Amino acid sequence: MITGARLGTLTGFRRLIASAMSHDLNVFLVPGPDIARAQGLDIESSGLQPVASPRHANVLLVMGPVTPALQEATAVIYAQMVRPRSLFVLGAQDLSSLPAADVEAELSQQGLIEGVNRLRRVFSESAFRPSISDFDVPILQIRIEYTCSMHPEIVQDEPGSCPRCGMFLIPREVQSMAEHRHMNHQKINTDAEIPVTFTHNHGDHQHDASMEYTCPMHPDVVQNEPGSCPRCGMNLEPRESQTESDHDHHHMDHADQGNMNMDHDDMGFMSMIDVTKDLPRSEDGLPMEWIDAPFGPFFPGLPGGLLLLLTLDGDAVARSETHCLSENTELVQSPSMEPPNFIERLTCVNPLSPIAYRLLACRALEHAAGIDISAETARARIGALERERIASHLGWLALFAQQTGFDWLMRRAASLQLKFLTAEFQQIKVLKPSVLALIKRLQQTPLLKSRTANIGQLMADIVSYGPVARAAGIDNDARNDDKICVALGFTAVKQIRNDVLARLQVRLDEITHTLMLIEAADAVVVPVSNTVGKISSSGEARVETPRGMAHLQLTLENGQVMTAQLDAPSTYHLNLINPMIDQQELGDALMAVNSLDLSPWEVLQ
Amino acid sequence: MTAQTFFIGFFGVAAVWFGIVVFRTFSMVRSALALLFSQTALGAMFLSMQVEFLGVLQIMMMATEMTIMAIFMVMFMMDPGGLGKMDMTHQKRLSLAVGIVSFVAAVAVAVFIDWGPLASTAPDAAQQTVDLGLELLGRSMLIFETAGITILTSMIAAIAVAIQPLKRNDKS
Amino acid sequence: MTTVFILISLVFGAYLVAVIEDWALTGRFRLTAPVFSALALLGRESVLPRKLDRVFFEVAPVLLLLSAVLAVAVVPLSPDLIITDLATGALFINAALVYVLVALLMAGWGPDGAYAMIGGWRFLGQLIAYAMLIVMPLTAVVMRAESMLTTEIVVSQAGLWNIVYQPVGFVLFFIAAMALAFLPPFDLPTSKGDLAGGVEAEYSGVRLAVFRLGRLVLIITLAAATVIFYLGGWQGPWLPPWAWSAIKILVVTAVMLLGGRMLPRIREAHLLSWCWIFGIPLALLNIFLVGVLVLVFP
Repeated sequence: MITGARLGTLTGFRRLIASAMSHDLNVFLVPGPDIARAQGLDIESSGLQPVASPRHANVLLVMGPVTPALQEATAVIYAQMVRPRSLFVLGAQDLSSLPAADVEAELSQQGLIEGVNRLRRVFSESAFRPSISDFDVPILQIRIEYTCSMHPEIVQDEPGSCPRCGMFLIPREVQSMAEHRHMNHQKINTDAEIPVTFTHNHGDHQHDASMEYTCPMHPDVVQNEPGSCPRCGMNLEPRESQTESDHDHHHMDHADQGNMNMDHDDMGFMSMIDVTKDLPRSEDGLPMEWIDAPFGPFFPGLPGGLLLLLTLDGDAVARSETHCLSENTELVQSPSMEPPNFIERLTCVNPLSPIAYRLLACRALEHAAGIDISAETARARIGALERERIASHLGWLALFAQQTGFDWLMRRAASLQLKFLTAEFQQIKVLKPSVLALIKRLQQTPLLKSRTANIGQLMADIVSYGPVARAAGIDNDARNDDKICVALGFTAVKQIRNDVLARLQVRLDEITHTLMLIEAADAVVVPVSNTVGKISSSGEARVETPRGMAHLQLTLENGQVMTAQLDAPSTYHLNLINPMIDQQELGDALMAVNSLDLSPWEVLQ
Repeated sequence: MTAQTFFIGFFGVAAVWFGIVVFRTFSMVRSALALLFSQTALGAMFLSMQVEFLGVLQIMMMATEMTIMAIFMVMFMMDPGGLGKMDMTHQKRLSLAVGIVSFVAAVAVAVFIDWGPLASTAPDAAQQTVDLGLELLGRSMLIFETAGITILTSMIAAIAVAIQPLKRNDKS
Repeated sequence: MTTVFILISLVFGAYLVAVIEDWALTGRFRLTAPVFSALALLGRESVLPRKLDRVFFEVAPVLLLLSAVLAVAVVPLSPDLIITDLATGALFINAALVYVLVALLMAGWGPDGAYAMIGGWRFLGQLIAYAMLIVMPLTAVVMRAESMLTTEIVVSQAGLWNIVYQPVGFVLFFIAAMALAFLPPFDLPTSKGDLAGGVEAEYSGVRLAVFRLGRLVLIITLAAATVIFYLGGWQGPWLPPWAWSAIKILVVTAVMLLGGRMLPRIREAHLLSWCWIFGIPLALLNIFLVGVLVLVFP
């Protein structure tokens, strides 16, 4: 029985429709298709069809880690889905703000397929129900706030008049719980330091018999005393009557009102250009209305868990704010952890590159304990790390292709990534030609270079790691210091131009180079922890994850891990977003954000 | 004959009604699209009068032009959604006067000018197109060439005024 | 009677387009998938956004479907299978298809949502790019046929199809037709990666079904227009005329749907600049060349 059924009784025609629905399962993925692929799930081959908008979906598939902040977002997504809707959960999750899961299964391809079969039965049996319940959670409440049409930065909770121009405020609906993410509207007009009021200035004027007051926007409203326009509420402006045409304007205080220059022509008419003078202007000069649009955290083209709050001027980005809703707080569960538990914890921190983090934990522990590992084990570990690098880059290619609407690349890269995730050494050799063919065909795609060149350019003096840095020619690859890597023939792959095309090129070249490294390493074995005695010391390690260098420092006391600090590349890359996408067109901005290959999971608050 | 009169009347009334909606609504986009449908009704009127080429042309051109007007209204008018319900009309007396004068002038032109002998039936639509083409390239060639050059000049001038000087490192 | 027959074949054609598009998307050939998804859509709720423009939201999908069907009304499937053989047929197709823009703009403005609105305005920018490139090649085609009757245009290609006679015009018209139908790589208004479905995102249930049906009919209408203007319409040996029309339309549809997915989505700035800097001069050149050919080889 699905809780998200539609109202109705299951008879006749509806039965036919319900069985049609059970064959047409459209799924919205939480936290995202990149996480699904990274966990080895092949969504399409299980019979589910991924869609981009929750309105088109009838299954909400929750897999992977869902933090409390993401739970709220998931509840909003669930509320946006149209009935009949169902909730399909893979793996154990604590989802308190959502209704009970309709189908639960384990987090594997087997579990997925078996869960889909159950889901089909559930749909054809209970898509329509005679009585249904509503879904309401606190996050969905809205409240009304009041804003001025001419001064969008003025926001109040009560109806009234704008303190700057006097116009009636118009109502607007906003999310009631959005305080912590509410953009500070006061900052839009930077020269609005002094709120300008007119009324006290008018007290200085003598009430001349020939003085008339008119509304700047409605010149046919004429009064003999100051006040508000009955039509729009704006404060009336003094205007000399026709008998004193040579009247000097200077004592009318117009010069003091920096922001409200009312240019009157002979008719007392204010053109629209002047009315919109206060509205913020963008660089290209086109004064479109500014809209706030959130992109994320489950946006189809962006990494799952990343929330981009963009203020769009038309379709150019005027302001942006990034949040990672997938916050991981403490690495070490107090008071201390056993080393094997710690390694497992670190492996789960970043579902997009678990092996790299596992290796990081193992190396840090071995460094603390002073354990040396054999060259053969080291090589096999490097093989595993490099295999994950290829899988991660392929996953990035699939996400990039999804965002740029490049279907064949998305399908091909996704299928190769799934194969690479668990490929044995021999299988990698078999897969090599397909990967090289993909890269070659990609580089020959006609419009790709023009689409990606000169977009997402970064300044040269920023802190970055991994492929983002190497695309700018900066080589801070951690593998340069690893003797075994260098012995296998590692050299860093670099580009010069610092744009999306360069980052794409770097990752493609890295895939080719990595294939060679794996062959030289001659084995692929996931890192296994060695036993650490009851020692007390500190250790650190650096590993070149697919996104850049990650640095772990930990302290051991009596064989237990007491503290740990992780420095991950995505934390730095988050700060690169705002300057990079400023004033860019929306499609370019999203592509630039994608090119950084962020993993919101490894960003620690 | 009566069916034709009915349709001409119907589309005429529709055109006027949509024209009224342009000013009655608070939403800028609704205003622009109401004007669009007013012009479409005019085009349909032409079709009812068996002037096929002009009718189709009117329907086609006005759709594009009015939607571009819609985007300009969204850009330059505040509150394009009309939620503030503010009265945006100006210069009411002047426009009323101009409207009445134009109406009287149009009616006078329609009634008092000698349009030539009345044809009993409208020529075949294909024949109309041929005649129109011959007219364009014959008697009216100077008018249309001038109009064409004028439009081209204003397009170029508008672009030249609107374009901002290219920055040095602008590679787009 | 012909009207009913053409409308039925239009629905069947829309079904085939859905199958081909599904094949392009998933790589699998599923004949029952469009039927299931249509039935399922009819059974879903059709929700309205909170602060919508009701008139626009409701009218947009209907207008999309209507404009595509009106355009088909002047397309001949065989010499006597045409709904209305207007004397200005070639121009009428364009006039009807312009309302696709009006429909998408309404769908963009109606829901009061950022994604839909950006999708709508993007399509307006796209129109400025493709509008001339639809009309100018049509001018050259009409010049050769010396008539705007669509049946005459097909008959004028009896000796040599227009795709060989005016290949530049064909390429421009084909690209502009794909841009009009907002197919990849021109799917700026309904992009899944940029705008989470854009104009389509806020629709659900019956309204979404009408919108998607309208889009399918639009694709097949444009394929039919390409066939009658450049590929000789119903002409061909052995098979009856309507069979040739059907085959050619399906081939053109398949090329449109499959070919576009090999490229990334085009940037709007590039689309506009390439169409105006390269496209329009080429179209003018095409008209000039065709004029010379028509006069030299009567």
